[in-house]
Amino acid sequence: SLTRQPEEVFDIICKLGEGSYGSVYKALHKESGQVLAIKQVPVDTDLQEIIKEISIMQQCDSPYVVKYYGSYFKNTDLWIVMEYCGAGSVSDIMRLRKKTLSEDEIATILIDTLKGLEYLHRRRKIHRDIKAGNILLNTEGHAKLADFGVAGQLTDTMAKRNTVIGTPFWMAPEVIQEIGYDCVADIWSLGITALEMAEGKPPYGDIHPMRAIFMIPTKPPPSFREPDQWSPEFIDFVSQCLVKNPDERATAEYLLTHEFIGNAKHPSILSTMIAEAREIRESQAFRNAQQNSNNAKTFGAGDGYNDATMKQRDAGTLVPTRDGTATAELVADLGTMVINEPDLATMKRHDTDPMDTNRPKYRPLFLEHFDKKQLGPTANGTLAADDRGAEAVPAGAGAGAGAGAGGAGAEAAALQRALLEEGNFEFLAFLSLGELEARMARLDAEMEADIEQLRARYETKRRPILDAIHLKRKRQQNF
Amino acid sequence: GGCYLVSPLVPTLVPPYLLEEIPHWLIVYSKADQELDHKLRWNMFRLSELDCYSDMLTRLYKQELQLIVMKYERYRSALLQELERRRRAVTYHTHPNY
Ligand SMILES: Nc1ncnc2c1ncn2[C@@H]1O[C@H](COP(=O)(O)OP(=O)(O)OP(=O)(O)O)[C@@H](O)[C@H]1O
Ligand SMILES: [Mg+2]
Repeated sequence: SLTRQPEEVFDIICKLGEGSYGSVYKALHKESGQVLAIKQVPVDTDLQEIIKEISIMQQCDSPYVVKYYGSYFKNTDLWIVMEYCGAGSVSDIMRLRKKTLSEDEIATILIDTLKGLEYLHRRRKIHRDIKAGNILLNTEGHAKLADFGVAGQLTDTMAKRNTVIGTPFWMAPEVIQEIGYDCVADIWSLGITALEMAEGKPPYGDIHPMRAIFMIPTKPPPSFREPDQWSPEFIDFVSQCLVKNPDERATAEYLLTHEFIGNAKHPSILSTMIAEAREIRESQAFRNAQQNSNNAKTFGAGDGYNDATMKQRDAGTLVPTRDGTATAELVADLGTMVINEPDLATMKRHDTDPMDTNRPKYRPLFLEHFDKKQLGPTANGTLAADDRGAEAVPAGAGAGAGAGAGGAGAEAAALQRALLEEGNFEFLAFLSLGELEARMARLDAEMEADIEQLRARYETKRRPILDAIHLKRKRQQNF
Repeated sequence: GGCYLVSPLVPTLVPPYLLEEIPHWLIVYSKADQELDHKLRWNMFRLSELDCYSDMLTRLYKQELQLIVMKYERYRSALLQELERRRRAVTYHTHPNY
């Protein structure tokens, strides 16, 4: 019932994890003593649609779909109350053990997942967010689909507000292209999830999400990195999921008859994996608690050492996922990311350009243009053209770093920017190797800056429309 | 909505706003200088129209987003090509020394 304050009804036990929309907590239903999971999502007020959505989800009743019990509004948070799955998500388990799954484990998880999808698709419901993070396991090793409907609904509302464009790695090409889609979009995501379980991350998982959005519809369907490591049945299963034309893609019902699924073993084979993950989780919680009390007591030098060793040990190969459970891990993840970012070492090494000695004689017009400018009263007259290039404002970074150079530097930047805009990359041939590598390293950041600018513009453009909508809705309610 | 309830008569679901053509003035608005934005009286539109324009802005946003990504995709491949050219040039030039 929506009338009582949720904290009267539940005791929050601990945090289970964090996703793109909010955090998930383990909670106790006071009246019945039942353990539940509660997802808390910050939302703005006019979201009756979500409530409607949840009531549809509540009608779902399958052992393969996480049961939804209801929802509450608490201040600006929406609390979604659901069934608790004691072993957490498949992506949690992979991350904790720093291990990908074996074929047997994958087949066992997929059989329940397919049954969940079959259940939803029979009712003409599309999940829209199938991935290892949304496949939960209970302590017996049974898999259940989570986040059905909620994620999609939230993505829609967020997209309307220009805030989020969902994680694209699992999206079917037709979903990205917005040409209309139906249930088999989930089957594509299932194929990506199978690769995720086998390899630790989805295809394109380590490139910028915006690039992935561009590549998924244009490239041939992804497959295994090392095909000879996997059985022909598994490879065939994945390839039947990852058919680009949705009309030719297999259905959940059909895939349940696939040989790979037919050979699947009993959920009990997952029990070692589940127990291992649980132990790691517990020891992490213990370590955290200890560290916290250590930090509170002493400020000793030993802590720094511990931090450093932990970072090294934790620099695993799995994709760092957003998870709030273990601060130590989060710190470690951040550490890894910093280390891996632009490879400073290689950049340094190449700073002395091996091409410097035999630089081509020909200089394009635009460089001559800079030379002339250089004779002017501005900036540092001794700079070589190449160096100025290095100093120039990176394309798309806006009024940033090198802009202070003024005069020739700024103009060089503006001209290079203009050339980039029109797709003229000739000038790259005249940059030093070090500069080329530096540009490569900042590419994603520059693209992000451009995207951010675009997002901000559309936000201001949309603002008055949303205000008008809001005003009209209010007036409607007053009648 | 998030979980699309698809009618059995419509095999594939297309969000309705995708089927309408975006009016020219909205495209102009999306790109125009903000200074002029106050001239539009959005209150004159009906609620359903406003919802539609908001969705259309999302579409325009995504189109522009795609242009940006494609631009960087070309830039990236030009950079890679140039880097590759240098590397080949280096091996070519250093090889006789061995
Ligand atoms: N019903 C549940 N029972 C047990 N643990 C859960 C439950 N729901 C979520 N979790 C835990 O909380 C974590 C975060 O879930 P959440 O759905 O917020 O994020 P996500 O699935 O990783 O990403 P997204 O926000 O895209 O769905 C999960 O990885 C899982 O560990
Ligand atoms: Mg989730």
